[in-house]
Amino acid sequence: MSALGTVELTIDGKKVSVPAGTSVFDAARLNNIAIPTLCHQQNETPVGVCRVCVVDVGGRVLTASCIRPAENNMVVSTTSDKVKAARSTLVELLMSDHPSPCTRQQNTGDCELEKLAHQHGIKKPRYPHRSTGRGKDDSSPSIAVDFDACILCDRCIRGCSEIRHNFVLGRMGKGGQAGIAFDNNLPMGNSSCVSCGECMVSCPTGALTNKVVTGTAFAAGSDAQSVKPEELENLPVFQGVSGTFLSLNKGAVVRRHFNRGDVICREGEYGSTAFYILEGKATVSISSPMAHVKTHGGARGFFTKLTSGLAKRRDDKRSEETDQKYIHIDAPIDLAYENPVAHLGPGDLFGEMTCMSLYPRSATVRAETDCTMLEMLRNVLDIMQRNKNFRAMLDKSYRQRALDNHLRGVPEFSSLTDDFIASLRDKVELIRCAPGQVICRQGDAADSFYLVRIGFVKVSQKHPGGEMVLAYLSRGDYFGEIGLLRGDVRTATCTALDHVELVKISGEDFNRMMNQFPQIRKKMEAVEEERLQQNRERLSVVQSIPLESFLAQGLMEAQSLLLLDLDKCTRCDACVRACADAHDGVTRLVREGLRFDHYLVATSCRQCRDPLCMVGCPVGSIRRRNSLEVIIEDWCIGCGLCAQNCPYGNINLHPFEVIGQDPDHPGQKKAVMKRKATSCDLCTEHAEPSCVYACPHDAAHRVDPSKHFAELLGIAPVQTAKR
Amino acid sequence: MRIDSTHRKWLIFSLVFLGASTAAYVFYVMRAPHGPSGSSLFGLIFGCVGFAFMIFAGLLGARKKVPVWRLGRAQAWMRGHLWLGLLSLPLILFHGGFRFGGVTTSVLMILLIVVVISGVFGAVLQHYMPPAMTSHVPLETIFDQINRVRGQLLEEADEFVEGITASGGPLATAAVSRAAAIATEELAAVSETDVAPLRKFYEREMRPFLEKPDSRGHALADAAKSHAMFIGLQTLLPPEVHETVKDLADICEEERQLRRQAQMHRWLHGWLILHIPLSLALLLLGAVHAVMALRF
Repeated sequence: MSALGTVELTIDGKKVSVPAGTSVFDAARLNNIAIPTLCHQQNETPVGVCRVCVVDVGGRVLTASCIRPAENNMVVSTTSDKVKAARSTLVELLMSDHPSPCTRQQNTGDCELEKLAHQHGIKKPRYPHRSTGRGKDDSSPSIAVDFDACILCDRCIRGCSEIRHNFVLGRMGKGGQAGIAFDNNLPMGNSSCVSCGECMVSCPTGALTNKVVTGTAFAAGSDAQSVKPEELENLPVFQGVSGTFLSLNKGAVVRRHFNRGDVICREGEYGSTAFYILEGKATVSISSPMAHVKTHGGARGFFTKLTSGLAKRRDDKRSEETDQKYIHIDAPIDLAYENPVAHLGPGDLFGEMTCMSLYPRSATVRAETDCTMLEMLRNVLDIMQRNKNFRAMLDKSYRQRALDNHLRGVPEFSSLTDDFIASLRDKVELIRCAPGQVICRQGDAADSFYLVRIGFVKVSQKHPGGEMVLAYLSRGDYFGEIGLLRGDVRTATCTALDHVELVKISGEDFNRMMNQFPQIRKKMEAVEEERLQQNRERLSVVQSIPLESFLAQGLMEAQSLLLLDLDKCTRCDACVRACADAHDGVTRLVREGLRFDHYLVATSCRQCRDPLCMVGCPVGSIRRRNSLEVIIEDWCIGCGLCAQNCPYGNINLHPFEVIGQDPDHPGQKKAVMKRKATSCDLCTEHAEPSCVYACPHDAAHRVDPSKHFAELLGIAPVQTAKR
Repeated sequence: MRIDSTHRKWLIFSLVFLGASTAAYVFYVMRAPHGPSGSSLFGLIFGCVGFAFMIFAGLLGARKKVPVWRLGRAQAWMRGHLWLGLLSLPLILFHGGFRFGGVTTSVLMILLIVVVISGVFGAVLQHYMPPAMTSHVPLETIFDQINRVRGQLLEEADEFVEGITASGGPLATAAVSRAAAIATEELAAVSETDVAPLRKFYEREMRPFLEKPDSRGHALADAAKSHAMFIGLQTLLPPEVHETVKDLADICEEERQLRRQAQMHRWLHGWLILHIPLSLALLLLGAVHAVMALRF
């Protein structure tokens, strides 16, 4: 007879006594008898889904030991032939649906399923694999999801819900389609997952694994001190993050000390890390001259030499040049156009866009006092950004310090009063979107207005011929106003192109703003009308020229193409030399490009349908005019990303010698080389572009493609309102 | 420059000018008791106008040095160069009365004839070669970039083969590209023995072909032979490798096109090596002749 509250049973011939309510699995474990399992973990509620822990208790069928309570006088066999055969079949069945070796087995050799299969001598399952895979989810920067390797043990689901109380993971689908899902079956990176890492730590196979951040690294320097996971756990910003997860990401965060005057990062440089200021202050600035490239001379005389120089917008106002007062950078603050310098302090995080999307640094950061900072790689930054505490801290800081500048930085909102901004401060919602996430869809009801804080948003419209990109919006741009002003549905679909952060203003607050500030309403209505007009024009162009190949080459979009008639061109490069001569030796034309019929579409800006050059500009200095031509604003830092992104090589970097801060001797000045992006300006100083003028063979022509190719394509020339 | 309908005005002008000059010359010859002479009034006029045309034609080179200066469109200068340069020959023949005269004038006449013939030859090339290049070299690149592109092709081919064989040797490269890495993954099941014919073909035939663009008589330089070789190679290899064989065949085709482009480019611009120095010599000697003749 057992003592009160205990039960006595026999396991594999050994008499044991355990507290009442103990499962057979635990009873065995407490007496050093190992029963294999896949779905069961000590810190989670047993669910008995994998059935690998089956034992024979003398009943009609075998039972899962993790959920079967121990009973008095129960005789349990964990290793009988019947049990072994059942277990082996179960493992073999699981293996037949498992990519062997899975990621975990490849990386660390400790996939629990494959280890078990090995113990049971299962090398190749007799059962066929499923014909189609269940896919992978690569959307999270820190955790890789391989649905094929998932054995549906639910350990991750219980880890997320029972241990971390995040309730992000769940089951989705039935039968062969069953699987784990994040939120309502969203990609992990787009879900409300906080990247605590518990699911990954719980997973017995390679279904959820730690992503090794490849292609990124810390800058060389002996001052970088690796931070131990225990130290990180003690920092307030890492509270709530799984210790195991931090251990797995050991080395992905370093502590750096900077002396006063040290440069922490330079504008235009490529990097892959973000910085979090622990102590000290830093100055953030743009050292490139606030000016654009202007070609002087030319039209005044036959022999006038052309020169290119830098001109500020107050000296040379180009058509549609913006009056923007603030420059948006990759930091929690904006810089003033007139004096692009600001200060950062403890608790500030900067370099997020560089770290998450590998864009060039948008500004130079220098230690104002002795500083201590955490420098981190993408996976750690993602963990931090998803951490509820840290998020709350960052959002609070943004609302208090940056919202004013951000809103007023938009020219249309420059007249907002302090009182109104104060009233918005706690009402605006700060939201994050993962790459590819649709923020709002064409045809949906318009319920809010968005201001881009970080990242790039693609605005596109569906047309009979396919999707057409209307614009790429970056920090400081806004969208959603058309639907709200018209009280109608969304006119376009907006999608996050990379890691995007937005300020969401509800429709109610937006309408309050419009009612309270009629002048802003007027400006917004003008913008609305302008955007709609552009869309109409573009639509008419798309509908007029349905030829696929023509469209595919982006020729239709161009207003002014430089064409080289290859039947006449002797490849003498006189056009290229003329272009270089007209622009201080820096040619903006390369005699290479796409061919259409016997024409070469030489590399000069063609105002594309999908202007990829605008994606990634760290300071948002490249944009379209209403005429679709590209304009590069004064605050270009010469990083060259637009030149790299342009698929046609139509953007070039023009070097200029300017007097600037000596990077090696703070406070001193010296001549330094700065670069500014330029694209073909059609030699506006002249009646005819130099390349065309200098072609001796009548091969170079600047043409309006819709007219020039009209005969060839058998269509009527396109008529548009503004062209 | 392509001689097309846009040259009609220049053609008419040239024909009218030539007709008028011929008529004047015939009139002058019939009236001259001692026959035509360069030192007569008519002879001097023909000589001066012909030399002026030559100078104008020669100034095209100078015009090209200052492409941005607004001195008239370069194509107008080129048209003038072609037609006036051509007219200078009959004018100078009229000037000399179809006689070559002494040593200097004989040299001048020979120079002029060679310059005009080389110019006409160049014009013919510029008329026919560009469209031929357009149709025969669809993968044309910038001439100065040809060697660089060749280097890339070789690297790419190495990577493709390395991706399949992955066995080191002379083809082993430190970094295998992503494309090759993917290929390696896909071709994991293919053994070294299976792909031995490919490796052998690459090392013996294709790589030398890509490495030595100036070599002549290589089988792969001939499109038909190359096609046959690759078809034959494909029959020796497992189907998993066929896509790579196709890629390698494409690389050979691009190399052939680059060779063709280089050759055509040399033809298109090679004649200038003769035309330009002789033109300069002609102008210089012509000036000396004019000064000497007028002074003495």
